[in-house]
Amino acid sequence: MAGIWMLSAGVLMAQTEPDDSGVYVSPTGAPPPVAPPIRKGSPLDHLVNDPKMQVLPVGYREGRTTSSDYWIAHRRVDDAGGSGWGWVKKNGEDWDSAQWIALQETPGVAVAPFRKLVSHTADDNWEFKFWGRIAPYKAYDPHLDEMLPVFILQGYEVIGPENALNIKEGPPNRVSHRPSGASPRGDRPILSDPGVD
Amino acid sequence: MRWLIIIGLFFVFGTLGVSAQEREDIVLTGGPALRFMEHGKAASHDVYWFNFVDASVIRLKELKAQTQRGELITWVVYRPGYASRSTEMGVNLPAQIEAKARAVGVRLVWFDTKEELISYFNRGLDRSKIKIGSFDYFGHSNKACFLFDYSNTIDTMSVVWLHVRDLKFIDRNDFARDALCKSWGCHSGEMYSQWWKSQFDVALTGAIGKTDFEHGGLPVLSSADGKWGQ
Repeated sequence: MAGIWMLSAGVLMAQTEPDDSGVYVSPTGAPPPVAPPIRKGSPLDHLVNDPKMQVLPVGYREGRTTSSDYWIAHRRVDDAGGSGWGWVKKNGEDWDSAQWIALQETPGVAVAPFRKLVSHTADDNWEFKFWGRIAPYKAYDPHLDEMLPVFILQGYEVIGPENALNIKEGPPNRVSHRPSGASPRGDRPILSDPGVD
Repeated sequence: MRWLIIIGLFFVFGTLGVSAQEREDIVLTGGPALRFMEHGKAASHDVYWFNFVDASVIRLKELKAQTQRGELITWVVYRPGYASRSTEMGVNLPAQIEAKARAVGVRLVWFDTKEELISYFNRGLDRSKIKIGSFDYFGHSNKACFLFDYSNTIDTMSVVWLHVRDLKFIDRNDFARDALCKSWGCHSGEMYSQWWKSQFDVALTGAIGKTDFEHGGLPVLSSADGKWGQ
């Protein structure tokens, strides 16, 4: 009876030989290998080896940028230390309709403009035309315990530096101060320092 | 007299009908970051793509050695992270994980979403008969969340996670009363453990501080004042 139940549960049979498919096997306590060589022509290769710029050239385009349906994006480095990219709004709408977003890149098609820069914050308060869409799912920012809408980037064009927007950074439900945790007000748990792995 | 015979037969055949397979040990494994997202960072996550997998296999072998005959051991793995890291590396990591599961002799269950994971907890097996006897998590985490996807879809963020607020969707009766549960990720002992105890009435051992998977083997506490707690 017990044997039949095990078979019906789909237990995988143990091999009599150890797994030796040519893949590195890390013995207990031994340091693991370093990352494998970067494949030539891959998005990682371009990221690592393409020359970086101090500023982005106005009018520079990347990815799929032919459609007349695009967004206007305003880059903002979050003073609170979150991982949100900035705000996006549909072209022609006001900034009060903008959403604070997490930017999902499409390696091999279009990646975040800051990846072309020597400093990842050098495009702070720059604006771009973005082609892409809002994803049906949210992203979780473990640094601030927030959920953000996700913009999937398919292409962009550099507009240039702009004045700072008079909009509060972060998602709409971000509190303006960090609660101590002693008050029952607010149900967001308080996090440690970035604290991921 | 007849009733005594009937009652006696009930107990005899009742005990013969009880299966030794009343418990399931679960090892839950999250996915790695992409090198595209982490390259060049001072604290670069998941240089080694199988840091969570190797630790999981060690734990699976421990469980295999100590479990009772018929007790199920299930390895539950977040697939999309390994699929995308495979594309980046030009290798087939899911196939390697499947080979490792076969080599250890455990049941492998893939999941893609939080909903699939919760469904497995609640309905993967008949939980009225087979309780979760042990639970181990190897992957990214902060004090409030298990992060199965991290810096893989979006740089430094997650699109598949199990937050403390999601624990209420897992039935508190899924776990055996004496279940041994442990999160090997960072900071779980600072908040996740307390919410876990509140929801399931079983303790979850978790780290106070960071853990380090970098050096192979089971992860170790890496904060100066780190410790394991519940």
